[in-house]
Amino acid sequence: MPTIVAFETMGGMGFTVLIVDDHPTFRRFARRLLEHAGFDVVGEAPDCAGALEAAAALQPDAILLDVMLPDGSGVDLTAALAERSASSMVVLTSSRSAADLGSALGASTFLAKSDFTSVAFSSLLGRHGLA
Amino acid sequence: MAWRSRLTPAWTVTAVAAAAVFAVDLHGLLATQGTEVAAYAYLGTMVFQSATGFAVWATRPAFNPLGPLWAISPILRVIENLPVVFPTNEAAATFGNLLVGVGAVMGAHWILSYPTGKLYSRWAKVWLAVAYVVTPATNLPYVLYLPSWLYVGPAPFSFITYNRVVLVAVVLPLAVTVWLLYAQRLRTLAPGARRTVAPLMIGALVYAPMWTYLAVRQLWDSSSAFAIEQAWLNTCFITLFSVLAISGLFFTRRARGVVGDLVLDLGRLGPGGVRQALARALGDPTMRVGYWLPDRDIWADENGAPFELPSGDHHSATYVGDHLAVMVHDPDLLDQPALLEAVRSTAAFALENERLRAALVAQLVELRESRARIVHTADEQRRRLERDLHDGAQQRLLGLGMVLQLLQGHVDKNGGPILAESKAELQRALHELQELARGIHPAILTDSGLGAAVRTLAQRSPVPVEVDAVDERLPAPVETAGYYVVAEALANVAKYAQATKATVHIGRNNGFLRIDIDDDGVGGADPSGGTGLRGLDDRVGALNGRLRVDSPVGVGTRVAVEIPCEP
Repeated sequence: MPTIVAFETMGGMGFTVLIVDDHPTFRRFARRLLEHAGFDVVGEAPDCAGALEAAAALQPDAILLDVMLPDGSGVDLTAALAERSASSMVVLTSSRSAADLGSALGASTFLAKSDFTSVAFSSLLGRHGLA
Repeated sequence: MAWRSRLTPAWTVTAVAAAAVFAVDLHGLLATQGTEVAAYAYLGTMVFQSATGFAVWATRPAFNPLGPLWAISPILRVIENLPVVFPTNEAAATFGNLLVGVGAVMGAHWILSYPTGKLYSRWAKVWLAVAYVVTPATNLPYVLYLPSWLYVGPAPFSFITYNRVVLVAVVLPLAVTVWLLYAQRLRTLAPGARRTVAPLMIGALVYAPMWTYLAVRQLWDSSSAFAIEQAWLNTCFITLFSVLAISGLFFTRRARGVVGDLVLDLGRLGPGGVRQALARALGDPTMRVGYWLPDRDIWADENGAPFELPSGDHHSATYVGDHLAVMVHDPDLLDQPALLEAVRSTAAFALENERLRAALVAQLVELRESRARIVHTADEQRRRLERDLHDGAQQRLLGLGMVLQLLQGHVDKNGGPILAESKAELQRALHELQELARGIHPAILTDSGLGAAVRTLAQRSPVPVEVDAVDERLPAPVETAGYYVVAEALANVAKYAQATKATVHIGRNNGFLRIDIDDDGVGGADPSGGTGLRGLDDRVGALNGRLRVDSPVGVGTRVAVEIPCEP
């Protein structure tokens, strides 16, 4: 199981993650899953405004960002987040499938919530050279 | 003839009196030796004017009191003349001298109230009130101090002096002021009344100073040559006035001719053309027609849209029937009551039909609006349901999936397969829920618009679909209708068309959203059959749109939708 080793290593290196989602259930379980896999979940935010603030303050390595937030679109937020926290890698997520979101996602990195596992998450990060 | 029934007792009595006066005067003229032709001509013109007045009185009751003034003024003038024809007759002297000038005042009244019998200026009313009282009053000495029924004795003053005093103190001021009233009337004529009234008023403006000159000169010049000249001038002018007044009334739209044209127009123009026909008949292209819709207690135009009744002086309202219709027109038309009345009674039936049509159109509009509201409400409910599924059940299932992942390290080898099966089952449930939510309302439509939503439809289609769509956002009901049409059409392509490819084109054109879905399949689709498109017709119809299916056998199918959609 090479990938697991990879993210165990990542966890060991203190890889920080910010979770942005308006559903507390999802935030709670995602935090547990990621922490279980060795990630360091440094913060949570329920909306765009909170996300911008947290990203600037925490400068996380990765941001798990819900596509649809109560005060705006996660897709539209990525550019602003990159400005606040240039080193953060953004992974968009949604309970809808990529097909349902269509071209709105553009070239963003996306992981459907139904497919969400710590393995899938870290392999996405690895694919982008962060692992 | 209808006008025979309008010969009222007043008309008949006055006509008999007129005939008697004219006959007496004629008898006197015939009995007097050396009567000049001018005297006969004067009598003739008075008879002519009076007869014209009686005709107007009988045929134009709406113009009351124009007719009576027109008929009676010349009678008074002839009575005034009787003392000259019967120099020794005390009755003639009594009536004739008492009425000196009253016929002329009534002539001025007639001119000032032409063509409707209504006085147009407050000053004209004042002038007439003064003139009708002062004129007979100044005549009293002629009957009190000259032989008559009212004779009291010789005059305590010289009549020559008295006449000059009356001339300066009464006749000249009245003549000058009436001239000013004629000028004021001419200057303030409404454009619509100009053709009718202006010629008579210009004639009066010429006649008034001339009459004054003759009256002044009469005081110094008692020659028979001057009397003849005076008679001829009066004859000519009063004849001219009658002719101008008659032709003026002719111009106030020959109501009967107008009615004939209106009947033809109403027949020819058919439904919706009533306003146009009425506008033509009244000569007022700006006129509007409102209809009373009893169901809704409002006035509406011919298309059922709310109709505002006029406020202010720029428009007048003429009502037809009891809460049937209202004609809003140029206030000048009030000067032509006969025309309005004729048009009103002629058009009543057509207006009743038009009202029913307007009511029907209003109902259709209401129906369409209520259909749109129903569709809109249903869409809103579906959107909320999708949202509820997404925020509720779906989130719980996703959470459950994560719990199962966390369990992974804590089950023994017997539990492993059960956990794997649970995860697979959960994935299926999530997938089904997603499908269900998408079917209820595609979230992408709300979030990203019609173009994006149609592209995801195309991606899921088993037949390759090329999409050419604008990406601007449109009103939600339009996007939803468009989406369902494309979804249904693409589902049909996949199910029945045996096509190798399809194209979806979405564009805006002249305030319409236009969607075309074409395929290269077998064609022969029956839009009224079970294609499911028929139900969408309602949805598109609720937005005033049109859906067409064109499906020649062997060529392919085109579904075309047009929905009004302002930018």
